[in-house]
Amino acid sequence: MDDNLYKEIILDRYKNPQNFGEIEDVKQAEQANYLCGDKLKIYIKTDKDGVIEEAKFMGGGCAISMAAVDLLLDEIVGKKLSQVKKMKGEEIEKMLGMDLTPARKKCAYLGLEVIKKI
Amino acid sequence: MDIKSKFPIFKKYPDLAYLDNGATTLKPEIVLEKMNEYYREYSANIHRGIYGISERATEEYESARVKVARFIGAAPSEIIFTFGTTASINLVASGWADKNLKRGDEILVTEMEHHSNLVPWQNLAKKKGLKIKFLPLNGIFLDISDEVLKNLVNEKTKMMAMVQVSNVLGTVNPVKDIIEKVKKINPKIVVVVDGAQAVAHMPIKVKDLGADFYAFSGHKMYGPTGIGVLWGKKERLEETEPVNFGGGMIEEVTEEGFRMASIPFRFEGGTPPIGEAIGLGEAVDFIEELGWKDIMEQEINTYKYLEEKIGGLAEMMGEGTIKILVMKGAHPHDVAQILDTVGVCVRAGHHCAMPLHQKLGLMASTRVSLAVYNDKSDVDKLIGGIKKVNKIFVKED
Ligand SMILES: Cc1ncc(COP(=O)(O)O)c(C=O)c1O
Repeated sequence: MDDNLYKEIILDRYKNPQNFGEIEDVKQAEQANYLCGDKLKIYIKTDKDGVIEEAKFMGGGCAISMAAVDLLLDEIVGKKLSQVKKMKGEEIEKMLGMDLTPARKKCAYLGLEVIKKI
Repeated sequence: MDIKSKFPIFKKYPDLAYLDNGATTLKPEIVLEKMNEYYREYSANIHRGIYGISERATEEYESARVKVARFIGAAPSEIIFTFGTTASINLVASGWADKNLKRGDEILVTEMEHHSNLVPWQNLAKKKGLKIKFLPLNGIFLDISDEVLKNLVNEKTKMMAMVQVSNVLGTVNPVKDIIEKVKKINPKIVVVVDGAQAVAHMPIKVKDLGADFYAFSGHKMYGPTGIGVLWGKKERLEETEPVNFGGGMIEEVTEEGFRMASIPFRFEGGTPPIGEAIGLGEAVDFIEELGWKDIMEQEINTYKYLEEKIGGLAEMMGEGTIKILVMKGAHPHDVAQILDTVGVCVRAGHHCAMPLHQKLGLMASTRVSLAVYNDKSDVDKLIGGIKKVNKIFVKED
C-alpha cells in the first residue's frame, strides 16, 4: 500500500467534513465497527416521494471511513432513498477514486451499510 | 547480538520492522527446520505404531513435553498440549470449573483481560448462574489494595482468572503477590494465569507463582501456531474432566464404557499437532540458548530507546515491551496504514480487549509490541513513520 491512499480529497474531508451534524426527527440508523473502533450514525430527511433532501452523520472513525461517508452523503442528496440502498460497494471505491485492500473496504463501506439499515 | 539472522523472514524482507509480537512472534530457522524434519523424515502418528518412525515421533513429542515442563519449572505429567492459550483456558472452564463451581459462586477476573480469559468465564457464568467480579484498574496497574480485595473476594469466590502480562498495556502483574493475597482471604480459590504475553519475555516458574493453572501459546514464543500449553497442578488435573473424548485419551474401551488414560494423555484426545509440539520444544531450546539475561537486556534496551525517542510525537502508555500509542487527530487504523508504508508492522484496534479500552476511554489504539530481534533500527523506522503520520494528519492549529 502506498501513500496514495491519503489523497488530498480524503484528508480534506476527514479534517473538514461537509456533512457532519444531526437532523432532528428524521430517519436514522447507526452502526459500530468495533474491530476498528468506528462508530457512525446517519440522519436522512426525505420528502413524501422518498427523495433525500438532507443527509448528515455523526460519529468517529478512520480517515477512510469518515471521508467515504462524507462524500457519500453529498452524492445521495436528490436521489431516492430506495435507489441509494441498492448502491454497491464498488461505487464507493469509484467515488473515492481508488481501489482498496479488503481491510480498508470495510472502513469505506461503513456509511453505505448504515444507510441500508435506515 | 545478531538475532535477526536467525529468522528467515528477514532474508525476504531485510528492512522489516516487525512490531506486532503481541499478536504472534516470527519463527526462527531452527524451529522451522525441526518441524520440517518431522514432516519430511518421520511424520508418523504418536503412541501407536510399533515401527521406527512412529517411535521416533512419540519420542520427539514427549521430549517436547519434557522441555516445556523444564522451561516453566513443572513436571512433564502436568503439561497438557492444547491448541493455544484460548483452548487451554477453555479446558479449565469446561473441564474444571464447570464441574466444580455451582450456582451463586463467584469468579474474579481483572479489568485488563484478553477476551480469551474473559469470554469463557462469561459463558460459564451464564450457563451456571455464576457471578463475575472485576479487579479494577488503577492507571495501567491493577488495584490490589487490601480494601479492594476484601470487597471483592469472599467465601463464594471459587475461581480467579488473571493475565500475567497485559497484551495492551504491557503491565506485568505481580501475580505471585496477588495470588498470595486472595488465597489468604479464601484458600479455596483456584487461580488460572494467562501467561500468553509473559513466557517469551521473562523466566516463569509456575510453582513459584502459586497458581493452579497456567496457560500459554507456542506462537507467541517463537514457536508455531496451533500448539499451546496448559499447566495444571497435579491435584487440579485430577479434578479436571477432559473435553475431547475419543481416540488417544483412553486406556480401555468396551461396549459398556471406557477407562481414561492417565494424566496428561486423557486431555489430549485425537491426534495432536505433533509437528507443532516438536517445534515448540525447539522454540524452548531457542529461548534457552539465547539466555534470559541477553533476551531481557536486548528488550530493555529497545524499549528504553523507544521511550526516549517518542518524546512529544505521540502519547504513549504501557510498561516494558508493550506500548500503545494515542495520536490526536489520527485514527489507529490510519496510523497503522501509514506505518505500513515505511515497513513498520503494528497493530490497530482493540487487541481483543474491548472492556479494557472502554476503561481507558478509547475506541481503539495503536499497539507496538517488541520481541528479542527488535533493535534500535526498528525504533528509528517507527519514529520516522510516526513523524509521517503527524505530517499527514495532525493539524497545526
Ligand atoms: C493475554 C492474551 N491471552 C490470550 C491470548 C490468546 O492466545 P491464542 O490466540 O494463541 O489462543 C492472547 C493472544 O492474542 C493474549 O495476548
